[in-house]
Amino acid sequence: MNQLDIVDRVAGLTPGSPAYLTRHKREKVAAATELSDIALFDPALPDLALGERLLVALYACALSQATSLSVHYRERLAALDTEPSLLDQVARTALDEVAEPRLRELLRFTHTLITQPAAGDQAALLRLPAAGLSTPAVVALAQLIAYVSYQIRLVAGLRALDALDALPALNSSESV
Amino acid sequence: MTRLIESHGFTNRELGWDAWLDIVDLEHATPEQIAVLEESHPKAKVSDYYLFLVHQPEILRQRSAAFNAIMYAPGGLSRAERELASAVVSRINGCVYCASVHAQRFEQLAKRDDVIEQVFHDPYTAGTTPREQAIVQFSIALTLNGGAVEPQQLLALREVGLNDDEILDLIHSIAIFAWANRLMLNLGEPQDVPQAV
Repeated sequence: MNQLDIVDRVAGLTPGSPAYLTRHKREKVAAATELSDIALFDPALPDLALGERLLVALYACALSQATSLSVHYRERLAALDTEPSLLDQVARTALDEVAEPRLRELLRFTHTLITQPAAGDQAALLRLPAAGLSTPAVVALAQLIAYVSYQIRLVAGLRALDALDALPALNSSESV
Repeated sequence: MTRLIESHGFTNRELGWDAWLDIVDLEHATPEQIAVLEESHPKAKVSDYYLFLVHQPEILRQRSAAFNAIMYAPGGLSRAERELASAVVSRINGCVYCASVHAQRFEQLAKRDDVIEQVFHDPYTAGTTPREQAIVQFSIALTLNGGAVEPQQLLALREVGLNDDEILDLIHSIAIFAWANRLMLNLGEPQDVPQAV
């Protein structure tokens, strides 16, 4: 069982490395994380286009300064032939430059959840149905942003765990 | 038996939670939705939170599988310490509902509430032992600055006795509440429930 999943790849884990083996002792968590990703980015999910979902994820990562995950979502967006200027606006977190009103509403909601999760209220949520989202699409959007918040911390934690295993070698090479 | 702790708007009282948008009506739920509710939580069928999230059953199914595996799996970090991390993250994110639930769980598992009182009062100085203090500090750091973790921060956990399996469980417990708090805070709000005398 040496196949790398999305989190392994973005965290830069090598199959068989101590951090990889530690992570995969909790295989139920790893599997549910991967299947969450697949469900949230299912191209067939109605009412919220895959391109919109990936832009939301990229925006969440850019706001969180999560570099490796930002690259991951940029690559997925590029593979969808996303307009490069739009991709660039979202990656720079330049919300004011995004022209499309519905996408601006999605990104505004993302901004609150990522940067000030307790600042949201019922009025903020009701802007989403007002922008044309069905209730299932609102649920998908909120789950997506919340999942990416989880994914960002998991990837950063695993990167640090991987680097920790390399620390003694790092220290000895520094002393040369 | 349980001592009431209230500070800065947080409480260890039992709270309810109401959704701000339409929830799924059980009488019209699909067999898949019913199955996911039953897998997710013993009280999911009477919970606005689960009845709202089950508008997307497959997403809820995988979220619940991750949550339950992180919080309840045997071995690794003690369940009480996982609950402590959850309570700290919820306190930092401002999630009164989640802080209440996980304060109660910590108290049930650890048979004490001293550190919960500290977390509610001032999370930045909380912890009754060096080990607890390190868990609290890392929970705050990963919550506030999720994009970057330095290996030295994990070294601080090793130095108070956490092994790598426990460190992974701690990362998972913190990360899953980045997820849970954002849903609880932005899809509805806590409600008072009648208190048992």
